[in-house]
Amino acid sequence: MSDVLDTLPPEAENISLGGFNRHAGPVWRLPVEGEVRRFALVVADKHMNGSGSIHGGMLMMLADVSMSQTSRAATGAKTCSTVSLTCDFVGPGKLGEILVSRVRVTKKTRTLVFMSADIVCGDRPVAVATGLWKIG
Amino acid sequence: MSAPPGFTKTHLVDPFEIHVGPVFEQGEKGARRFGFRVDARHVNMRGVIHGGMLMTFADAAFGQAAWDATDHADVVTLNMQSQFLAGAKEGDWVEVVPVLTRRTRSLIFLRGDFTVDAAPIYSVSSVWKILGAD
Repeated sequence: MSDVLDTLPPEAENISLGGFNRHAGPVWRLPVEGEVRRFALVVADKHMNGSGSIHGGMLMMLADVSMSQTSRAATGAKTCSTVSLTCDFVGPGKLGEILVSRVRVTKKTRTLVFMSADIVCGDRPVAVATGLWKIG
Repeated sequence: MSAPPGFTKTHLVDPFEIHVGPVFEQGEKGARRFGFRVDARHVNMRGVIHGGMLMTFADAAFGQAAWDATDHADVVTLNMQSQFLAGAKEGDWVEVVPVLTRRTRSLIFLRGDFTVDAAPIYSVSSVWKILGAD
């Protein structure tokens, strides 16, 4: 799939500009790779749970932000809202690791976007999410 | 902003929960009601609560309920399914009573309806693993 990132690439753009995005982030936008839109999180102290792994809430936050961004990019809509999000927690993410969320659009209709997000550290799966967004 | 009368602060352990908290609770072990007050940190650019905050609160509240069900065993979230029914805004009080649907030797099934002023805004079902209980 891809190598483990030990630093963010120079093209990475901080998309966590206000509100909860800034409080919980930053999440970075990486260059698009074919059909896959990619986003990254550098796991920091504040993102952790009490067992030495990234908190599940922060993983779902990363899935939510990356699919939200993708829903807008894929449709050109100014706003899209999360209708449902399902997340499987597959493995731990450790302090200092760079997690990449790889988002694919499964299907777009006039009013809805279906997506999936694989959250990985290199080849190691951390979480898998699917989500449904409403356009507008 | 404060919690409604009768609520006390939940003892949070996880750094990310402390970062987005506080969370409050009311009631007895196994039937605790959890809540938080939406503040400026929790909303998106449109002034509506961020889905990431609701999912984090759900994970925190359900984790407490999973602890209640196991006398503080080591538990981890395996899966969480979230439905976003309506928005909440700054100043709103969001609360939930997690419901234990079933507990097996190694798994815990939980669900909950999250409300603002008794109106449902968010619905979750979730599966948890009791570590070391294979």
